[in-house]
Amino acid sequence: MSNKGARNLFIFGSLFFFVIFLAITFDTLGKLDKRAPEITKEVDEGKHVWHKYDCIGCHTIFGNGSYFAPDLTKMAINRPRSYLKRFLMDPKSVNANAAMPKFGISADEADRLIAFLEWTSKVDTNGWPPKPILAVAAGVSGPELSAGQKIYRSQGCSGCHMINGIGGTTGPELTHVGSRRDRNWLHEHFEDPSKVVANSAMPSFKHLGDQALNDLTDYMLTLR
Amino acid sequence: MTIKYESQRIAQHFYTFAVLLFLVQVVVGIIAAVQFIKPDVFILNFNIIRSLHINALVVWLLVGFMGATYYVVSEESEAELWSLPMAHFQFWATVVTVTFVVLGYIWMGINPQANSPVMGINPLNEGREYIEAPRWADILIVVSVLLFLLNCVMTVLKTKKWTGIQGVLLGGLVFLALMYIPGMFYTKSMVKDQFWWWWVVHLWVEGAWEIIAGALLAFMLMKTIGAKREVLEKWMYIEVGLVLFTGILGTGHHYYWIGTPRYWLWIGGIFSSLEPIPLLLMVWDAFRTTREARNVANRAGLFYTVAHAIFNFVGAGLWGIIHTLPQVNKWTHGTQITTAHGHLAFYGAYVLLVISMIYVTLPAIRGVKEYNTSRAYQAFWWMTISMVFIVLTITGAGMVQTYMERMMGLDYEAVKTTYNLWFWILRAIFGVGFLIGVGIFVVDFFKLGKEPAAAMSAAPEKA
Repeated sequence: MSNKGARNLFIFGSLFFFVIFLAITFDTLGKLDKRAPEITKEVDEGKHVWHKYDCIGCHTIFGNGSYFAPDLTKMAINRPRSYLKRFLMDPKSVNANAAMPKFGISADEADRLIAFLEWTSKVDTNGWPPKPILAVAAGVSGPELSAGQKIYRSQGCSGCHMINGIGGTTGPELTHVGSRRDRNWLHEHFEDPSKVVANSAMPSFKHLGDQALNDLTDYMLTLR
Repeated sequence: MTIKYESQRIAQHFYTFAVLLFLVQVVVGIIAAVQFIKPDVFILNFNIIRSLHINALVVWLLVGFMGATYYVVSEESEAELWSLPMAHFQFWATVVTVTFVVLGYIWMGINPQANSPVMGINPLNEGREYIEAPRWADILIVVSVLLFLLNCVMTVLKTKKWTGIQGVLLGGLVFLALMYIPGMFYTKSMVKDQFWWWWVVHLWVEGAWEIIAGALLAFMLMKTIGAKREVLEKWMYIEVGLVLFTGILGTGHHYYWIGTPRYWLWIGGIFSSLEPIPLLLMVWDAFRTTREARNVANRAGLFYTVAHAIFNFVGAGLWGIIHTLPQVNKWTHGTQITTAHGHLAFYGAYVLLVISMIYVTLPAIRGVKEYNTSRAYQAFWWMTISMVFIVLTITGAGMVQTYMERMMGLDYEAVKTTYNLWFWILRAIFGVGFLIGVGIFVVDFFKLGKEPAAAMSAAPEKA
């Protein structure tokens, strides 16, 4: 290759990839608002509080930031609002071991910041952060099992199927089944698997009854 | 070795400021390392220390690039700079702006309420990682960069010698300036905030900066061993081309988990896995050229140049690819694994690059043919061995964190304060080792070529 050829390859190749990047960016920007709840005035004000105190100087959010303090993407799910508010205003008053200093965050600012964190906790992050494998297996992660989860366990579904790394590999993995299948498909499939998947080796679960299959379908749809 | 054009001396101003900021960066880095063990150990909290640590890094590398570029453009154009007074003005404007930004951070550290919005804008700190500098500083930085680019382009136009090296170098710098813009507006959505933020951060360090690195690598190989321009430039085009072919869509590896569509898992996974290829090509380029060399004009310069190529590949390439696939990244994202990659990548790709440029060009600026290189090697080994161990300890901490917090479900704080404590202690100790290396380098920077000839014994080169 001549020098000129190499130069042209560099210039036009780079432009080519940048144009593709722009096109995908355009598509992405059109989809972002649908993957997150509406941004209210309070959420926006909370984001301003987030920037004012340079929270990202210690914490991460969506996994990006400073790795010095816990990730806050889903923090609002796991902690009661009243606790978070008191903690933000004076961390050491509710947790003597807290590393976070008292910044002088006001009650108003704390409310808005929590509204902002409630918003981030509802953004569709493609399943991040993943639920810890061992904590899920031990049943200590998150709230009480839903009706669908109980059926999933009592029927031994994990003998064949895997969710978040736990379970068998005989049947298809279900970690993201909720984003692949809709309600009707799932329900029909539980009633008679071979009707929707030719040669399916899975038995019918029609005998569990409509209510149970609805619960199980609800659970499947949460796996996104 | 002497400079051919008087205005090339301006590079020294930029280098001096860069080197001093480097020292600041490493001193606050050690404070930050100690705060991992004891959070309230210093008058300023971790967030301020950390902002200083990463901002000092970005600014000193940029300032180093600017100094190097003025040198290269004058050399390649075979002309004095278009306007030396403007270059001086641009230098001092940058110094003043950066000083006020730093004072602002410190003030905010002492009184957080000082950052309360004025007309909707935070006056001291934007609260966004790497681009914390407030809006007024953004604008001044843009003005400074525009003056800088104008000066360089007008210099080239004086003689119209568009060599490949300076074409690519200036192209990379224009791309760098353009990619600062996506970080300069406010978005209500945190998802969009991070989306555009990555345009700045990723397209800088894995795009524009690597282009600058490719161009400077070619320049340094040409200057240290007299390698042929024709061959160097051809490979440079291929390297920087591959950097952008893989790196632009490689941005996708930051769009896995921030609320962006799932197709980025495919795009980011595939293209970012290819990102190490151009970096490996640069290593091969450096070795191939060096092997053919008969006349090494500047041993320390060549040594740093080759080391830069190697650690660019190891830090940015290898330490990046280990956690770039979405299946892995799902568990490691946002852990100390990222910190480890960040440290080795910035050190190998850009810290060593600017130091290489200093060792390649400073002897000529100071007008010395030979100089005592022993401190240059000492500084290299202190810094590099310390950095490798810093990175290994943080990688260890990241593996423990990934396993215990992410996979087992232990609490973040429990893992940090208990199970990773030894890693933090070791990291701080190696940090001091790094500071010793930097100290030796800073002394060498100020003394190079200024000592009486008798002191220039032929010190044995350590391998």
